[in-house]
Amino acid sequence: MPYQIVVLIKQMPDLELIKPDPSTGEPNVKSVPLRFETLSKHATEAAVRLKEKYGGKVTGICLGTETAGQVMKEAFAMGVDEGIVITGYQGSNPRYTARILAEKIKSIPHDVVVLGNQSADSYTGMIPGMISSMLGVPLLGNALSIELSDGSAQVLRVMEDRNEKIQSKLPAVISVTQEINEPRLPPVMQILAAGRKPIKTEKAEPGKSYTAIRSNKAPKSERKKQIFEDPVKGIPEVVKALKEAIR
Amino acid sequence: MKTLVYSDSQDIAAQLVAKFSQFGEVTLLVSSGNVDKLKKYGPTSIISFEGPENPDALANIARTAAEKGQHEMIAIGSTTVGRDMAGILAGMIGADVMAEIVDIRNDGGKIVTRRFFLGGKTVLEEETTSKIFTVSPGIAEPAEKAGSPPIEHLGLAASSVSVIEVIPKMASSEDIEKASVIVSVGRGIGSKEGIEKIRPLAEALNGVIAGSRPVCLDYQWLSEEKQVGLSGKKVRPKVYLALGISGQIQHIAGMRGSKMVVAVNKDKSAPIFEEADYGLVGDLYQIVPKLLEALKA
Ligand SMILES: Cc1cc2nc3c(=O)[nH]c(=O)nc-3n(C[C@H](O)[C@H](O)[C@H](O)COP(=O)(O)OP(=O)(O)OC[C@H]3O[C@@H](n4cnc5c(N)ncnc54)[C@H](O)[C@@H]3O)c2cc1C
Repeated sequence: MPYQIVVLIKQMPDLELIKPDPSTGEPNVKSVPLRFETLSKHATEAAVRLKEKYGGKVTGICLGTETAGQVMKEAFAMGVDEGIVITGYQGSNPRYTARILAEKIKSIPHDVVVLGNQSADSYTGMIPGMISSMLGVPLLGNALSIELSDGSAQVLRVMEDRNEKIQSKLPAVISVTQEINEPRLPPVMQILAAGRKPIKTEKAEPGKSYTAIRSNKAPKSERKKQIFEDPVKGIPEVVKALKEAIR
Repeated sequence: MKTLVYSDSQDIAAQLVAKFSQFGEVTLLVSSGNVDKLKKYGPTSIISFEGPENPDALANIARTAAEKGQHEMIAIGSTTVGRDMAGILAGMIGADVMAEIVDIRNDGGKIVTRRFFLGGKTVLEEETTSKIFTVSPGIAEPAEKAGSPPIEHLGLAASSVSVIEVIPKMASSEDIEKASVIVSVGRGIGSKEGIEKIRPLAEALNGVIAGSRPVCLDYQWLSEEKQVGLSGKKVRPKVYLALGISGQIQHIAGMRGSKMVVAVNKDKSAPIFEEADYGLVGDLYQIVPKLLEALKA
């Protein structure tokens, strides 16, 4: 049975390039390029593998900025068939993000909606649950593996003190952990071919948020940073400090 | 302000009761099997239920309980189940969520929270009118309180998800959050056998062994509750010794509170050295025996 698979794709600032301003501690987020968010990449890989295993079509939806097309092309190269980019909401209230995404998903055929469990940058973990209740479909959360059969999905859910094999009817929302797979690196030819594929671009109505940011700063690091490249010199110093510290 | 609290983890549930009691009455939502273990922490009242703790069913019961009790805040422990439950509940009742908070206080009538942002690179301090909170483990020290809170039973609705099989995980009794010395290993350890080679050093320092996410989750060379980081434990030992850990921001978010950090890494440009008091550049398998020898001398 061919499945209509939707994967939710997020952009995020390249975290490795984010540096706090030395005097204010505030991050230089605006000047950092946006890339394919880590968990979304695992979700995309999972969605494409479902298509490869069971047949069907993968539609990527990205709520992002004007540069989201670049990320969508990467997703195409990984095996996503169609792409929708929604711009217009730059805030970080997960309920608005979820509402915009859920409205879009409702307008297209969907058996399975795949997304990351907690994004690598904002890390709220709220989108899977919100989308599931906004769509009125079950959530199979924190999946380490996914199987589909006869209109139902089975997932190995990772929990703190145990794992659980859980099951629900389709359509369902499935959130994935980063351990579910190793995302493929598509060959250059595929990326080039992907560049020619059309992407649907739409604009969302942003809502207003009730949260006021008081500060967003890197905690001060006051480490000594005594780094030794020569262990003969370093080890006695380190051992002295260790003995002092555990006394 | 009145709060409804829930966590499928008993530890976090006890912490939530302690923390949110600062703001007024606390109703504890809890599986009937855990009532006895948790009532001693002194919630104002208890609502118990029977049945499997699945996120959608829990969201439903929390909604009913909060409507009946007119709770202004709903605090949910941040676990796999808790996060999914909070998201479902928020979507269901159209309320905002402040997620993954590590601190909450009342500042002249405004609720102010703190949480990690940008993968742990920064801390966001926010004023919020959100109704729902997911709370990171360790927000408060649970304290026992005398009293016998009234207990009410509510029925748990059926879940749209069925649990077919439960697969237990091995857990150890060692608690890395309480250790004063942690020897933490990363992917640079190379193999599970490598961990045994590190053990004598941990023992000499009276420490426990912990690890990065790949070591605990991908390779499972250590069990999951030994993971340090944004998605693992937040530790603040006297000494944190990082062996073969690159120091990605999500790892740093879990060990930033350590008093002294020592890093061993063969790559001198590894970011862990930016977060270390002392660093040794080189192969950990050569450095660890020498450290041990010098420690014992
Ligand atoms: C949402 C999200 C949450 C995450 N949460 C966490 C978390 O809670 N905890 C966590 O740890 N990670 C977390 N991660 C993953 C994190 O981004 C890194 O991938 C991870 O911390 C890297 O682990 P590592 O340092 O062990 O491995 P690597 O980054 O591969 O580093 C290995 C290091 O070992 C060094 N090395 C290799 N061999 C030797 C040797 N013989 N001697 C000395 N040094 C050697 C290398 O130079 C390298 O620096 C999270 C990621 C995301 C996206």
